[in-house]
Amino acid sequence: MPEAQDVRVENLERIFGGASRETYRFTLVWCAAGETQSRPLILRRDPPGSLIDTDRAVEFGAYQAFHGTGVPVPEPLWLEEDSSWLDHPFFVMEQLTGFEASPQALMAPPYSDHADKLAQQKWAILGEISRADPKQLGLEAVMEPVAVDVCWQRELAHWESEIDRAELCPQPVIRAAIRWLRRTPPPPAQKLSVVHADFRTGNFLCDSDGVIHAILDWEMAHLGDPLEDLAWGLNPIWCWAKDGRVGGLASREDAIRIWEEASGLRAEPDALHWWEVFSSVKGQAIWVSGAQEFTAGKNQDPILALSAWLMGNSQDRAVLHALGHLP
Amino acid sequence: MKPDPGHFLGVMAGHLMTRTAPALPEAYEQSTVGILGLMLISVGEEFERAASRRVEENRELRRLFAEAAPAVEDAELRARLEAAAAGSDEDLAISALEASNSVLRVLLIELHAHVEELDSDAARGVEQAIWRELVASTERRRLAMGPF
Repeated sequence: MPEAQDVRVENLERIFGGASRETYRFTLVWCAAGETQSRPLILRRDPPGSLIDTDRAVEFGAYQAFHGTGVPVPEPLWLEEDSSWLDHPFFVMEQLTGFEASPQALMAPPYSDHADKLAQQKWAILGEISRADPKQLGLEAVMEPVAVDVCWQRELAHWESEIDRAELCPQPVIRAAIRWLRRTPPPPAQKLSVVHADFRTGNFLCDSDGVIHAILDWEMAHLGDPLEDLAWGLNPIWCWAKDGRVGGLASREDAIRIWEEASGLRAEPDALHWWEVFSSVKGQAIWVSGAQEFTAGKNQDPILALSAWLMGNSQDRAVLHALGHLP
Repeated sequence: MKPDPGHFLGVMAGHLMTRTAPALPEAYEQSTVGILGLMLISVGEEFERAASRRVEENRELRRLFAEAAPAVEDAELRARLEAAAAGSDEDLAISALEASNSVLRVLLIELHAHVEELDSDAARGVEQAIWRELVASTERRRLAMGPF
């Protein structure tokens, strides 16, 4: 904004926006061409500790890549990796106002009246992400490519190492799941896709008429097997309505069908099952990591402790369910 | 100790969520206090069962190790299983029970990985017993507010 003068920040307020970055909303006010102008914006700043340690350039790059495409995202504006300005790196993006993301809110009227409509968009948008060509989007510059036959190995090794690093108590259920995953590897990915990696109810903004306006929280985005995203969204820990509907919105069968139609890909059952078991290993790694950050005093936001307690146990239940040991 | 800690925590959680949080000016602070309320409810739930679930689990793990030991082909592992099976919890402080539980669960992981590699009916029987215990251990830790 080289023409801007008298730039100032107003109405700065911290909001919940994922547990890996501090999120603030504010209004940027400036003068240009003799007129005062303003725009509501979002600041995402790296915290001292978080559920997961991710590269803000990857998240910013994902917003850049998908902005203006069929995958709705806020407009990304500025990325600052120099810590000297706000103590930690940060980026700024457009603030979309008047929309809802909270899963609890979406499970109640007026949003719940549009569950079918939301499900159709949610899984179709994921299909668009899966179908997209990472190279064409320029994302290979910020996300490390991986061969289609070893996507699973890279992701499993990453999250297993995260559990190795952060676990505060033994995890016999997840360790058993990891051994199962290594014994029964999935087939190669159908294609190398952009994986949002946290695509679930709670990470999109919608209005009260059931229209999705933005997909948020791309902080774990990477290149990999598109089934990773589908499986993550199907994990029972996101069944917010507690009635079996995945993401609290749709039947499992409908979600898979919508995704297959939009992506042009197939969710082969055995491969999807592998990624569903994996999704619980990854989930537990995230909860374990949050518990470790809290205990070490790096970040003592109570959401980390609550996640570790509530989600951690549910994640074990989910993997026992996926492996056929729990109804 | 009256009022009961669980009762006290429940009442305080209600205060935090219905009185304190709505009075705060910023949404983030409101949410944080709401989470603290949820934490207190979970602490109350865990307070009531903290000793009993650990005592029960440690007992079940030692019983499992005693039953599994004959099927274990690795003599060194078998000896450690037998030694663990002969143990008991003398100190019922939560920290002591948690420490012994962690030692036993590390051994459970090792036993599980070992029998998975064995080709015998006895090993399959141990494996099934381990899965039953893993389900039971997960149920012991279940919190009412958990999403699944």
